[in-house]
Amino acid sequence: MLEAKDLSKSFGGLKALQQVTLRAEFGHSVGIIGPNGAGKTTLFNLLTGEIKADSGHVSLDGMSIDTEPIHERVKLGLARTYQVPRPFAEISVRENIRVSMMEDNLKYMLRVAWDDTGEQEIAESVGFTAQQLDQLPSELAMGDLRKLELARTLATNPKVLLLDEVFAGLTYGEIEHISNLLIERRKTHGTTYLIVSHDLKALQPLVDDVLVIHGGNVIKKGTFDEVVSDPQVQNAYLGTG
Amino acid sequence: MNSTLRRGIYGWIAFAVVMVILPHVVGTGVTRSFVFAMYLAIFAVSWDIMSGRTGYISFGHPFLIGIGGYTTALLTYHLHWPLFLSIPTAVVITMIGGTLFFFPALRIRGTYFALVTLAFMELIYGLVQVIAPNVTGGTRGLSGLETIVTGAIPNYYLALVVLLVLGFTMWLVIRTHIGTALSAVGMDEDAVRASGINVTRLKLFAFMLSAFAAGLGGALYVHYLGSIAPRALFDVGFLFQILVACLLGGAGTISGPIAGAFFLTFLLEWLRPYFPGPERFLIYGAVALVLYVYQPNGLHELVRNGLKRLNQLKLSRNTS
Amino acid sequence: MLQILVQGLVLSGFYALIAVGFTLIFSVGRVLNLAYGSFLMLGGYIYYQGAQVVGLPKFPSLIIAGIAGAVFGMLVYRILVKRLSGNVVAVEIATLILAVVVQAAVVLVFSPSPKSMWPLVPGVLRIGDASVTYNIFIAAVVSWILLGGLFLFTGMTHMGRAIRAVSMDSKGAVISGIDPERVNILTWAISGTFGAIAGVFLATYTQLDPNMWVTPLIIAVAVVIVGGIGSILGSLVAAHIIGMLETITTSLIAAELRGVATMLIIIAVLLVAPKGLFGKSEL
Ligand SMILES: Nc1ncnc2c1ncn2[C@@H]1O[C@H](COP(=O)(O)OP(=O)(O)O)[C@@H](O)[C@H]1O
Ligand SMILES: [Mg+2]
Repeated sequence: MLEAKDLSKSFGGLKALQQVTLRAEFGHSVGIIGPNGAGKTTLFNLLTGEIKADSGHVSLDGMSIDTEPIHERVKLGLARTYQVPRPFAEISVRENIRVSMMEDNLKYMLRVAWDDTGEQEIAESVGFTAQQLDQLPSELAMGDLRKLELARTLATNPKVLLLDEVFAGLTYGEIEHISNLLIERRKTHGTTYLIVSHDLKALQPLVDDVLVIHGGNVIKKGTFDEVVSDPQVQNAYLGTG
Repeated sequence: MNSTLRRGIYGWIAFAVVMVILPHVVGTGVTRSFVFAMYLAIFAVSWDIMSGRTGYISFGHPFLIGIGGYTTALLTYHLHWPLFLSIPTAVVITMIGGTLFFFPALRIRGTYFALVTLAFMELIYGLVQVIAPNVTGGTRGLSGLETIVTGAIPNYYLALVVLLVLGFTMWLVIRTHIGTALSAVGMDEDAVRASGINVTRLKLFAFMLSAFAAGLGGALYVHYLGSIAPRALFDVGFLFQILVACLLGGAGTISGPIAGAFFLTFLLEWLRPYFPGPERFLIYGAVALVLYVYQPNGLHELVRNGLKRLNQLKLSRNTS
Repeated sequence: MLQILVQGLVLSGFYALIAVGFTLIFSVGRVLNLAYGSFLMLGGYIYYQGAQVVGLPKFPSLIIAGIAGAVFGMLVYRILVKRLSGNVVAVEIATLILAVVVQAAVVLVFSPSPKSMWPLVPGVLRIGDASVTYNIFIAAVVSWILLGGLFLFTGMTHMGRAIRAVSMDSKGAVISGIDPERVNILTWAISGTFGAIAGVFLATYTQLDPNMWVTPLIIAVAVVIVGGIGSILGSLVAAHIIGMLETITTSLIAAELRGVATMLIIIAVLLVAPKGLFGKSEL
């Protein structure tokens, strides 16, 4: 279970996030919506530890992870994709995935990568073809870059996966493929997702609850249906979003 | 076994065989040039493991080499330590010195890191001359240091063994997961953290490996020369040779910097009969500059592109 | 006490002159020109050739050195830096290699042995019981004049404002119709001139030799690091911090510690405040 309590963060005078509280049981997923600049990405940055919160606490599985560095949180099962894909630009798709698959100890890392079945499996599961494994990220289209982001996080074997606008820039076919993959994985691994997306239709089958953030505040929390039918949300979200 | 790895290992065997035979074929003068080239190659390998992939460009590598050199020089010259103790001690002290590079690397990277390392080099250059010049020999340095072996050929084989062992080990290391991770660190350090890897430990490992090679190379080098002086070591010209060897050869590849070190040393030798005067150094520098601007990724990249083009040629011939 | 103050102030002004050409290029083009020391060296040697070999009067020799610096600066930009633009590390390394090439060229043309230079203005200036040579004092005055001129230029003229605009926000500047190419060429020319003139003073202050590019480069780097990369005002303040601290160390502790104090400042500042005291941008 991922739990965040009263997370706040300001950048200079800008209150990017105020007292945000959030709970996601294992196997239970949460959609996060809100207009641009609402603070969704900032929330992810606080959860992963990339940015230090001004106040508030994060715990995973009942254990506080406030003092854990980023890589330790990943090893505990908390991984994220970046809204703007951040692949390692000068190494192949295969090696990009390999970096995430490595165990974090020098003895393991001092081995030569004899086979790449693990990398291949993950790459294929997100929809890469075998030839694409040797390509560099610069040769990939936006859709493929998003798939690579996802593949890299899946390779860390996450329990809780934070997905920041994973569907942006994808075709319907690609969205469907990734949705199915996520649903399948949730069945087999019980993975929890926190999904930031503007695409409500894509979100619907994936999440149980929805959190609406606006101007750094949570303005609404509830099941998918409750939230999207709320007039205040429609106003804030559809108005500016 | 993975085919590029196998080809690489054949390459190392061929290199070793040629190098073992070489002193019996060439004269003493050329042998001595090879000794120098091999020490430069060792320093270049050391630079490459720290900086070639990670993006932590060291402009102060002579600092580390100099620590190794001065430690063993002082221990043997003043305290009459035997070499088999002073050289390992020098390596250890250099690795401790390497942490002086490592701590800044926790906070700063890129240009700032490069400049801090350069500052370390200039700092020690100043300190060696001022602090206890009667111990360090001050500006003049120390001469008459003990040598390990004498004569061109024994020194050649000593340097060769060290280069082969260090070079091959480092070459293997960058072909493991570590090499991939180090490349990733050079591209996006935070994304490596977000992949669940302790970047700090990884960097420390690379820096210590680099310092080990710099310390060992530096210690053996001063015992080969029999002397040590601040201007010969903590010098931009020396840094230039290491840096250019790595860059012309192809940073991050280990084999490239070794090739670069040989190329640089022999470029200077080839030029000698035609240009006995100072114009040799001008041509040498200009060649380095033009090659670097033409292909910042080095010889290695040129060879790889050449092979790629050859393959494409073959393919198109087969299909037509 | 007064002696330290006067000497420190004058040395600081001189350091500001050395550093400002270096900062200017960074703030506009976002690249570090590690061949900057060569600008100084060339300035020194060309002045020497004019004033002490050909026998021209001092002032025209100084002007010629300044013009040569501008030309050299523009050539370095056009031939080297522009080609590698976008790759910050490649520019640094290429300019460092260039510095070594220039050193070899100077050895070839002028021989490796050091040459001593006549002071631009002989004599010693006394202020109370403090004294400085006219030579370094004039260097500081020229430095203040050039820096003041630069300040007016970037504040008052159209081209100068364009330089400032590019240094603050290069994309925004392009949108508002500024040609970044012209701005770059101009800054490299100004940097070359400032470097060459600083080089004449440096050479008369110390001596001419083919290694002389390293020290001013380190000083420029130190000033820029302490002041914050890309901040001209910061460099001015930093030049004074470094100049004063250096004067204090050399006159109160030991003369040989000149460079050592500077290096310690660099390291300390980079570790405590990597953006420098007035820095606005990271690399
Ligand atoms: N590192 C940062 N420094 C300054 N301001 C930031 C930073 N990151 C985000 N912000 C600001 O915080 C607000 C929330 O941003 P973000 O979390 O990215 O929004 P969202 O992901 O919901 O679109 C925005 O106004 C943004 O400009
Ligand atoms: Mg966002």
